[in-house]
Amino acid sequence: MRFRRTASALTVAVTALALAACGDDDDGGGGGGDSAEPSVAETPEFEAGTTMAEIAERGTIRVGTKFDQPGFGLENLEGEVEGFDVEVAKIIAGALGIAEGDIEWVQTPSAVREEVIEGGEVDMVVATYTINDTRRERISFAGPYYEAGQQIMVASDDDEITGPESFTENPDATVCSVTGSTPAENIREYLASDSQLVLFEEYSQCADSLSNGQVDAVTTDNVILLGFVSESDGEFKLVGEQFTEEPYGIGITKGDVAFCEFINETLADNEEAYVAAWESTAGQVEGTETPSLPEPQPCS
Amino acid sequence: MTSATRQHPLVELSGVQKWFGDLHVLADVDLAIDAGEVVVVIGPSGSGKSTLCRAINRLEPIQQGEIRVDGELLPEEGKALARLRADVGMVFQNFNLFAHKTVLQNVTLGPVKVRHRSKGEADKRARELLDRVGVGNQADKYPAQLSGGQQQRVAIARALAMDPKVMLFDEPTSALDPEMINEVLDVMTSLARDGMTMVVITHEMGFARRAANRVVFMDGGRIVESADPETFFTRPTSDRAKDFLSKILTH
Amino acid sequence: MSPVLDNLDLYVDGFLTSLRIIVYSLIGCLLLGLIIAACRVSPVPPLRAFGTFWVTTFRNTPLTVVLVFCAFGLPELGINRSFFFFGVLGLILYTSAFVAEAIRAGINSVPAGQAEAARSLGLGFSLTLRDVVLPQALRTVVPPLGSVLIAMFKNSAVVGAFGVGGDLWSTGQILTSARGYETLPVFIGVAIGYLLITLPAGALLQVIERKVAIAR
Ligand SMILES: Nc1ncnc2c1ncn2[C@@H]1O[C@H](COP(=O)(O)OP(=O)(O)OP(=O)(O)O)[C@@H](O)[C@H]1O
Ligand SMILES: [Mg+2]
Repeated sequence: MRFRRTASALTVAVTALALAACGDDDDGGGGGGDSAEPSVAETPEFEAGTTMAEIAERGTIRVGTKFDQPGFGLENLEGEVEGFDVEVAKIIAGALGIAEGDIEWVQTPSAVREEVIEGGEVDMVVATYTINDTRRERISFAGPYYEAGQQIMVASDDDEITGPESFTENPDATVCSVTGSTPAENIREYLASDSQLVLFEEYSQCADSLSNGQVDAVTTDNVILLGFVSESDGEFKLVGEQFTEEPYGIGITKGDVAFCEFINETLADNEEAYVAAWESTAGQVEGTETPSLPEPQPCS
Repeated sequence: MTSATRQHPLVELSGVQKWFGDLHVLADVDLAIDAGEVVVVIGPSGSGKSTLCRAINRLEPIQQGEIRVDGELLPEEGKALARLRADVGMVFQNFNLFAHKTVLQNVTLGPVKVRHRSKGEADKRARELLDRVGVGNQADKYPAQLSGGQQQRVAIARALAMDPKVMLFDEPTSALDPEMINEVLDVMTSLARDGMTMVVITHEMGFARRAANRVVFMDGGRIVESADPETFFTRPTSDRAKDFLSKILTH
Repeated sequence: MSPVLDNLDLYVDGFLTSLRIIVYSLIGCLLLGLIIAACRVSPVPPLRAFGTFWVTTFRNTPLTVVLVFCAFGLPELGINRSFFFFGVLGLILYTSAFVAEAIRAGINSVPAGQAEAARSLGLGFSLTLRDVVLPQALRTVVPPLGSVLIAMFKNSAVVGAFGVGGDLWSTGQILTSARGYETLPVFIGVAIGYLLITLPAGALLQVIERKVAIAR
């Protein structure tokens, strides 16, 4: 049966990341200079009253991230979260003088991200969080730290669907995405009718449906799709260019300009750690290119 | 309703055995009832009278032996059995009128659904029967609005509407107040006089003397005695019948 | 901020999709439930066993699991139908077990003498059930059946998560996570949508309950 796919994809991803983490530990243990471990500032000084000062004073930071997003934020079997988002958060925490062990990870699925920021339950959210204006009405974004983009995944033997335009041309073709996600909203403008869009709670369910012929394509951010392609043993492929720009930002309390600027500077100053963060996590998936840090957007 | 020349009895039980778990409720019962015959079954409580009666239209299946109605062996549950039951009228101690249907609807249900009569025809015949049992003016009431005696007479009309070959009565007057017993017994007596084949379980000895051709006495699942009423009531042969009669004739 | 008024067209679409799921499922689960209940009380042992198996299976399996089997299992067997079809099918299978039990309880509440009287008139099993037992069972069936059906109406939200989309629940999800509206007002709108279905249904049930109570 195909139900296996979800589980096996997870297992492989977890194993890959765990192996990567082990490798890092060995390096870290040797205290080598080219370690991927983000550095922790000794005694950083901050202007009184800023978020940075408050966090540094407190000695812990609460970070919202996903626990179920392979490559970005995924809880492993030991209960630790791993992924690119997690590593980025560690870089910022380090600049605040907070060590890995003092970071409190809060699971923030897509639907609650604004809520936890507004409620002050977390200091920041790093969770494949696409910057957009509706969200900006309620929170502020630092970054972006990564430019994702939406793409289309189809069965390898499919030559009919070549990109999002194929759904306009062929009103019978169906495409699957996750309920309430930005990619699901983005694809709508290419559809001839609403009934072409199939929505599930999880992308693994979309992949299962692609594999058993219930849908013709799956669409979401390239990184997530690449994960499925590399697990599919040649069953799936990506088609067409990235047709959206999904700048991933770091969600913080609305109007906290100082914290926003601090995050942007920290990322700019830690290019090397940034690259290492990618390569030890999402970069493990075959076919990905190591990104360079995008230009920050103005803080507001 | 007496039919033409028949070689066989209308109802025939031979070697019938039935158990409820360990309890032997019908023990090697043989009984033959001819067309037009009225048989009264008496016996102490728990002796198997109801079971015998219900076995005749297979409301209770038996485990051994044979039961034939008009020569035909009782079929397994199914269409054939339903057809056979349509020919065997049954009147229950608790009337069992359909609570959600009017008196008239109670009487016409069987003819319309089973005999496929037209509604007009069924209504006409039902009203005749209701008049005959003396409740013609109650036709549009619901059973709950009738007295026990009236309900039981409706139940008899309902059974008659199917033009049954034989009628089974399981203690038809036991649930009635004393003043209503006679109105039901009168209807039954007139039925008997008109030649209906009847099996009647009752403790009404007056009815037995008046209307029965034969009295069957049961005890412990067996038929202990079978005789004409005069003989049975005046010269019972078995000790158990004597004992039973001495008990019920005192009150 | 009034996310409901801003997106009224989305809500109306969602409402109509939910209503469609509910209407199909309602018809399906009542018919199927009746058949299963009939099996449960049938004189034929294999049918009885089948009825028991059915009720045991679907009453003791979470709805989401039933839906997974419909939406992902059936396609594996080469059955490719719309997710709407699979979703409604799953909801019907699941709810039919509860409907059957409510009906069976009602059937058992009708005195055995009623069915015996019908059978001794020569009515077969299905006529006895249809003309004598079920009409009387209705009185006791309506209240529990009403609860089962209203639970089904709400369960239609779960179906929306299995590839159907566009129902009230999914509309709420889209507005909050993709369009960044606040959760509370959005889902108050969703709740109102469901209430627009369940409240009239509840009122209708009470009318029916009164009707069948008088009919004797
Ligand atoms: N469905 C049943 N299951 C088990 N035992 C039963 C069942 N029906 C009847 N019995 C038992 O079988 C025996 C005979 O019952 P039956 O009703 O035939 O007696 P009866 O002669 O009609 O008695 P009564 O005068 O009290 O009506 C009784 O002991 C009764 O308890
Ligand atoms: Mg009895």
